[in-house]
Amino acid sequence: MSAPVILICDDSILARKQLHDVVERYIPEVTIYEATDGRAAIDIYKDKNPDLTFIDITMPVMNGIDAIKGIKEIDASSEIVVVSSVGTQTELKEAIMAGAKDFIQKPFSVSQIKILLESFFKEG
Amino acid sequence: MYAQFFGSYLLNNKIVTPDQLSEAISKLKESRMKLGTLAMHQGLMTANEVDEICYIQSREDKRFGEIAIERDYLTDEQVEELLHAQNPDYLLLGQNLVDMGLISNEQLQDLLLDYQNDTEIYDMDLENQAHFDQLVKKFLIVSEDNLDEYAKSYLKLLFNDFVRFIGEDFTPMAPVPATEYPVNYCVKQVINGDLNATTYLDMPKETAIEFASRYASMDFDEFNEYVKASVEDFLNLHNGLYGVNISNQNSVELALEPPTSVDEDIIELDDDSYVIPFIYPFGTLHLIINFSK
Repeated sequence: MSAPVILICDDSILARKQLHDVVERYIPEVTIYEATDGRAAIDIYKDKNPDLTFIDITMPVMNGIDAIKGIKEIDASSEIVVVSSVGTQTELKEAIMAGAKDFIQKPFSVSQIKILLESFFKEG
Repeated sequence: MYAQFFGSYLLNNKIVTPDQLSEAISKLKESRMKLGTLAMHQGLMTANEVDEICYIQSREDKRFGEIAIERDYLTDEQVEELLHAQNPDYLLLGQNLVDMGLISNEQLQDLLLDYQNDTEIYDMDLENQAHFDQLVKKFLIVSEDNLDEYAKSYLKLLFNDFVRFIGEDFTPMAPVPATEYPVNYCVKQVINGDLNATTYLDMPKETAIEFASRYASMDFDEFNEYVKASVEDFLNLHNGLYGVNISNQNSVELALEPPTSVDEDIIELDDDSYVIPFIYPFGTLHLIINFSK
């Protein structure tokens, strides 16, 4: 397959860097775009059509749940994983209802991300 | 046992001043446990015997263990065992106080015994709210009406989160009521919903660098965006976990505003705000909380 494109949306520069570093380690040929709020994530999604989107829940301007809904409106088959330090049960339920496929809790372990990437980008 | 409370115990008993305690804690990084302190802690030697060997060491170029064996205070096997035993952090703190000339070995011996007896009944069970409340009351001298249940469970989780994400080598100090607070590097997060709270985490920039290095498992050597984000992340993570806990236990739903850096030099605080210092070997952090229903 062609080199994957991944969107990372988190208002924390640290969280973006940590995820960016891990993804790049396992998929060196990856192209990564970053957004710092939900609104920016939707804009980048429209433009770049990423294969996988990592998104935080609590963010300024537009939260992750509204962003997931927005992205799903553009592309119902989009693959979205919530990466959040915590979410209340309600928030998690909302994220899944909105179309998130998986949830990873921060601080995440490198192996968690590795397993997830393998499940999405396995050859064949 | 909650080793973090040894410092509070020393303060409460007026053994040291807060400044002396900070200094002793800041020296933990470069301190190494001495055989004499270990032997005393294990009850294998008395303070007088340790002092005697220290005196001999000042005149003869020999190791502590060597002299202790010569004098039949310890056997070869005991020295070996002591060198490989796991020892609580607070022991090293006590040893630093002796090295700083603030207490004698004899006093340390008594203090360790008293502290162990005092804390024995609270052998730490973090899940046990009643035990934790007693600890907080005993060591942080918090009177019943000072902190409500929500604030207490917030503190309990904070202790856990410090242990989990930063390290267990901290000493909490008593919460102090405050109406204003001078800012170093400070992050603020507001909690809304069935319960309203404003939380701040403040620390000097140098302290933040080490805090962030521990939190993010990265080596930061300057105060940069990642360091700032680490402090924000920690507060956000802690408050988020608190929100989840409290919604599970009390059916209270909370929403978090995104954490922000505080730009003012001085924060004006609402009534019922408390400042709680936590001393780590790399510096002191201040948590500031205000809970209002």
